[in-house]
Formats: sequence, structure tokens, C-alpha cells
Amino acid sequence: MAKRSVLGLFTEEQVDEAGDALEALASAGYTTTEYEVLTGTPYPEGTFGEAEPKHKLFRWPLTGAACGFIIGLVLTAGSQLAFPLVTGGKPILSIPPMAIIMYEGTMLGAIIFTIIGILLESRLPRLFMGAYDKRITEGYIGVTVTTEEDRIPRAEEVLKQSGAGDITRGWESK
Amino acid sequence: MASHNASGHNEEHHAEGMYVPFTSQREVVNDLVTKHDKISDKWLSGVAAAGFLLVLGVIGFVMRVNDGVSDRMVWAYYAMMFSFILTTASAAPMVAIAPRLANAHWRRPVSRVAELWSAAGIFSLLLFIPMLWILPPLTDGRRSLWFYNSDDPFFSKVPVYSPHIWTTAALLSLAALGIMLLWLSAMPDLALMREHSTGWKQKWSARLSGRWIGTTEQWNMLHHRMGIVGALYFMMLVFVHYLVSTDFLMTLVPGWIDSLYPLTHAANSLQAGVATVILTMFFLRKFGGYEDYFTLDQFWAMSKLLFALSLLWFWFWFSSFNVFWYGKKPSEQAVLKYLMVGSYQPAFMAGFILSFVTPLLVMMWNRVRKSFWGPTIMSVAVLAGTFFDRLRLYVAAWSYPGVGDYRVDKHEIPFDSIPAANMPGVPDVLIVLGVIGGAVLFYLLAARLIPPVSIWEQKELMLYKLHKAYHRTEVLVLGKPR
Repeated sequence: MAKRSVLGLFTEEQVDEAGDALEALASAGYTTTEYEVLTGTPYPEGTFGEAEPKHKLFRWPLTGAACGFIIGLVLTAGSQLAFPLVTGGKPILSIPPMAIIMYEGTMLGAIIFTIIGILLESRLPRLFMGAYDKRITEGYIGVTVTTEEDRIPRAEEVLKQSGAGDITRGWESK
Repeated sequence: MASHNASGHNEEHHAEGMYVPFTSQREVVNDLVTKHDKISDKWLSGVAAAGFLLVLGVIGFVMRVNDGVSDRMVWAYYAMMFSFILTTASAAPMVAIAPRLANAHWRRPVSRVAELWSAAGIFSLLLFIPMLWILPPLTDGRRSLWFYNSDDPFFSKVPVYSPHIWTTAALLSLAALGIMLLWLSAMPDLALMREHSTGWKQKWSARLSGRWIGTTEQWNMLHHRMGIVGALYFMMLVFVHYLVSTDFLMTLVPGWIDSLYPLTHAANSLQAGVATVILTMFFLRKFGGYEDYFTLDQFWAMSKLLFALSLLWFWFWFSSFNVFWYGKKPSEQAVLKYLMVGSYQPAFMAGFILSFVTPLLVMMWNRVRKSFWGPTIMSVAVLAGTFFDRLRLYVAAWSYPGVGDYRVDKHEIPFDSIPAANMPGVPDVLIVLGVIGGAVLFYLLAARLIPPVSIWEQKELMLYKLHKAYHRTEVLVLGKPR
């Protein structure tokens, strides 16, 4: 079935009402993937009681750093063991010079994996704008519901009851 | 109690240099969009002046091109100006990165001012193109980072254009990261302009803002991306300074071996970057109509940074100088004589006094730091000091006889035949003016497309500030996000 979106607009002062709208939508049976908050400025996380977005960005530099460290360790230890030249009576596996290469490897791995991570975590751009109101950029708060067409009237009702000033509809996808 | 005027201005706090005197997001949007949309006479005058200087620079460049690229000496001032822009404009975005990571409120109006200088990164890339022809390949026998040795069967295979290749790659990466940082940070404002502007600005804003509508996920992702791209910009900036200061400076001076200097070059750029941003803030406050945003708080906070980095200037300089002076090998004494106490001594003294002594003696006083004129005048001094410091190093390095000639020894300057100073000719003066004009022109044009004060970060401030009665006075309470 075709999906539609509906937007309820709240003023800058109606932060609590926007939060109430999310609660009411949840009570009415809408899932967290069906509604979201649109703002012109980043409100502190959890202001509207919305679900905290999950990302795994921090895992990328950690993984890259671990890989880089291992490669640095294998490269330095491996080459010294393959060509065992005793220099100045020092042990074959001499930690201080190995640490420099391992550090460089760790940093390089972290940077490369971070760039890959940003690209993958960013995902595809949003293809459909859905219902939108330019007053959101002026400070208004939008609560948008994207769902099957037959569930839109109920969503509108919930938004109105929560105190939304204006309600607008828009196409999301077919 | 503070008085309020009709537009929500809190005049008493404004006079004290407190945060933006608006109480609602809409007021901030209206004010900043109006300011940005208006093409003022002052902006047009700035563009005309910068454009005129750039034309002079192009004339000077053409005069130099007629001299060819084989004699490096005639390009010494050009190389100096390339490094000057890299030291000042390309380092300015760092002022946006570090305080943003620290969640400081005072930096909100400053961030975009600093990020917009990354537009000048494109200009420094353009400036770099002729440098690829001017810098000789490694076959002239100079020391290098790249292990090239024409007598060794293995190391003779190292590409002789390694400095050209790697520095180009690093500069491209730095410029790309700078533009990416600016674009990310401006995306919410571009979306706002998509809705509020008209004509070409609306069209470009729509293209650049993509599908930004301000969902919680988009804000979350923006925050993380800016943090990561900012950190990468910092790492790449240090790397670029490392490559430029070795391949385009130190290796051209026989006997100049200093493992600390690449970091000194990068640290100097942080000082000059802060000075660049303070000066830009002053101009935007004085001529751009942004006096409500660049208040004493911004100047005070930035002046502390400038003061600290000016002290660091001495630490880096003395650490290197001490090794050469105490070592006293003939090659080290010759380097000191050539770069510091010989024919370039006036430029060295000017750099020393303007970059360190003057900021130390003047900015140690809080009354000077906490003012509009104090940090601004000191910024001019620091930028002039940086100019003279780059002059005595780059002009001296590129003017040393024998650069590019394999028959000339590249390992030691003969102590009894230190070359004389290379004084600027008319084309050099034109190039100096043109490069400064070009960087300013790029900034002014970028500021037409992207608001020089971050609108969304100013709106965000409205969520965290509160004027509250406190006994017999009123205080400003600021919350901390995240």
C-alpha cells in the first residue's frame, strides 16, 4: 500500500506538547520508525522523549586501530625475525623502534577505517521529503508520521489533540 | 535590572559583552538572514579592493613567468606567500574545530568565521600549482625525506618528483577536508536559505543542502561527522606543514637539519590562524553589522588563545635555536648566520618582536585582552610577525645559490660566504599584494553563499541560555549540551 506522511506543527514554546504528541502516537499504536521529530536546531537528546538514534561510528576507528597495530607488530617483528641481525648487542625484537612503526600503523588504520565508517554509516540520502513546512527552519517543531494511507486520519487526529497548530500532508513514497 | 527594547534586545547585557541579545529562534533567523541577504556597499568595496589587489598580483606573476622557472631566486617571494597563506588562512578552520569539541558556547559565532577560511584552501591549491614547476627534482643532490640516492642501485629508483607528488596529494586532501567541514557545518543553514532566499542563492542552497529536513537522526549524524572530519583536518594540517616545511624549505638550505622545525611550522600556523580569525571577527563586527554576535566574550576568549600560542612561539623557536647555538658546528653556525643574524636579521627581529615580544608584553594585561581593539591590534602584529618570519626563511631558502644545480654542494653553507639578502623587486611586491587580495576575495565570495555566522548554532544557544534574577542583580545561566 502507498505510504503517506502527515506533519503536525508546534511552536517554539510547545516543546512539551510535541513530546506529548510522540507519547500519544506510541499509545495509538504507531511504531518509533513511523514518527519522527523535525527541528531547525539540535535539541538535547531525549527532549521530546524520542528514541535515541543508534550509530556504530565509534567501532570503526577502534577496529582500524587494532588492525593497524597488528599489521605494525607483524611487519616489525616479522622482518626482524626473518633477517636476524644483532645490532649493538640489542635483542633481535627491540621494542622502542618497533613501537614507532606500530604507532604509525595504529593511527593509519584508525584514520582509514574512520573514513570508510563515515561513508557506510551515512547511508543513502533521504529520497523523499514527505510532509514538510519551511517554518521548521524558523524554530517551529514538526512531528511527522509516515505510514499507510489508511492510518493517516488517525495520526492527524492524535496530532491535533496534542496541540499541533497546523497539519499538512505530503507524499513519502509509493 | 536589565532593560529590554522592542526587538528583544537586552541592552545592558549587550553592553557588557554577554551572549546574543535575542530570546527566540525566529528573531535570530530574521536578523541573520536579513544581514546575509543584503549586499552592502562595504562588501562590494571589499570585493573591489581585493579584486584589484589580485589583478596586481596576476601582473606580478606574469612578469615573473617571463623570467622563467629555472632561476629559483626570482620565485622566492612567491614561495613565501604560498607558505604565508598556508600558515594563516588554512590554519584558521582549527579555531572552529577545537572549541566545538570542547562544547564552548562563546565559539558559536566564531566557528563559521573560521570555517569559511577553508574556501581560501582552494586559493592556496591554485598558488601551489606553479610551485610544482619551481621546485627542482631530487636529482640536484639535496637531502630529502625520500631516501633518494642516485648512486645506490635500489634507492635511485625512488621517484625524483616524490616531494611534488606527496605534497600535492596532502594539499588536495586538506582542501577537500576543509570544504567538507564547511559544507557539513553549513548544511542546516543552507536548508534554511533554501526556504527563505530567492534567485541563485535559493537554487544553490537547495542543491547543497540536499534533503536536509532536521530529523533527530540527521542532527545526530551531523554532530559525529563534524567531529571526525574536524579531527582529520587537524591531522592533515600538521602533515601538510610537515611536508611543506621539509621539502619546500629546510632541504633547500644546506646544513639545516632540525627535527623540531616541521612542528614549529605547524604551531606557528595555529597562532597565525587565531590571529586571522580575530581580525576577521573585527571586520565583521565593524563593517558587516554583526556587532550583536561578536561581543567582548568572543574577543576575550580568542585573545587568551592568541596569548598562549604566542608564548608557544618562543618555546619552539628557542628549542631549535638552542641546539644550533650550543652545538656550534660550522654548518650550524652558518645556518644561524644565514637565517637569523646575517643579512636577514632585520626580518628575523621583526618576526621575533611582532610574534612574541609584543604579544607577551601587551597581552599579559587582562584589560587589553578583554577589549575589542587589544586582540585586534595584536592580531595584526602577529600576522605581520608571521609574514616577516616566513620572509626570512622562505626567501632565504629559495635564494640560496645552487638550488636545482647538482654541481653545488648541498650539505653545508661555507661560513665565509653567506649569501646577501634577496631584496624584493616590483613583481615581488605585486605578488605579495595579489596573494593577500586573492585570499580575502575568496573569503568574501564564500561569505555571500554561506552565512558568515552560523545561524543554527545561534538558534541552538536559545535553548541553553536563561537570564535569571539573582539577589539584586541578573545573571546569565548557560546550560551545556550533551
